[in-house]
Amino acid sequence: MSFLAFFFIVVSLVSFVAAQLVLKRAMEATRTSGLRNAQFISKVTGGIILMTISFFLTLGLLQRFDLSYLYPFQGLSVIFITLLAAVALKEKLNMRLAIGALLISIGIVLVSLS
Amino acid sequence: MQNRPTGFGNPWLQLALSVACVLVSEFLLKRGATEVADTGSAWSWTGLNGLASPLVWWAILLIIASFVSWLYVLRYIPITIAFPLSRVVDILVPLGCWIFLGELISPLRWCGIALVVIGLALVAKPIAQIEERL
Repeated sequence: MSFLAFFFIVVSLVSFVAAQLVLKRAMEATRTSGLRNAQFISKVTGGIILMTISFFLTLGLLQRFDLSYLYPFQGLSVIFITLLAAVALKEKLNMRLAIGALLISIGIVLVSLS
Repeated sequence: MQNRPTGFGNPWLQLALSVACVLVSEFLLKRGATEVADTGSAWSWTGLNGLASPLVWWAILLIIASFVSWLYVLRYIPITIAFPLSRVVDILVPLGCWIFLGELISPLRWCGIALVVIGLALVAKPIAQIEERL
């Protein structure tokens, strides 16, 4: 796999995870101030833009690679979320998460070698 | 899990429908992308040429449908239960690639897929809990 392809896979996954988190924040904003507020609208717009970026990059990648090759890379999103939790929530890595992340990483390396 | 509706509104049925929509949309996206593939052009990395395929538009409709039913599911089933269950798609997508798309999957790739699936199954619950707090 070329560096460019790996770069697009990572950008696509990071945008997808970021979109999920931004949309979640948008929904939380509706609890206090309803749907008609600038915070909700800007976050929903941001989330949709990020989702769209992720969608089209995936579509570009699917033109070049098998789905069975690309799909396991979605496991990387778990690694991003774990890292984000460590930074944003100061969360310590528990054994279950660590083993899971390790298996996913080894699995992705094997798939990328296939 | 309060006052769960029955029939088409049953949240477990909606969860299954959401997973089915994700699954079919993945296959349609792959077929659509292959239909219009233009790997010689740098522009095609953007994926925008994929919009020329009707299959991609069907996939978009299914993605929206899965999103709507997922939001409905979350009204009745806690995310820490719904999210790990929805990850059954991680097993079904590679199987579908082999059965429906006819992709040749080497033993090395199968091993990698198996490790990713086991890893995802292990972390599904803690990840859902983290996502709730992020």
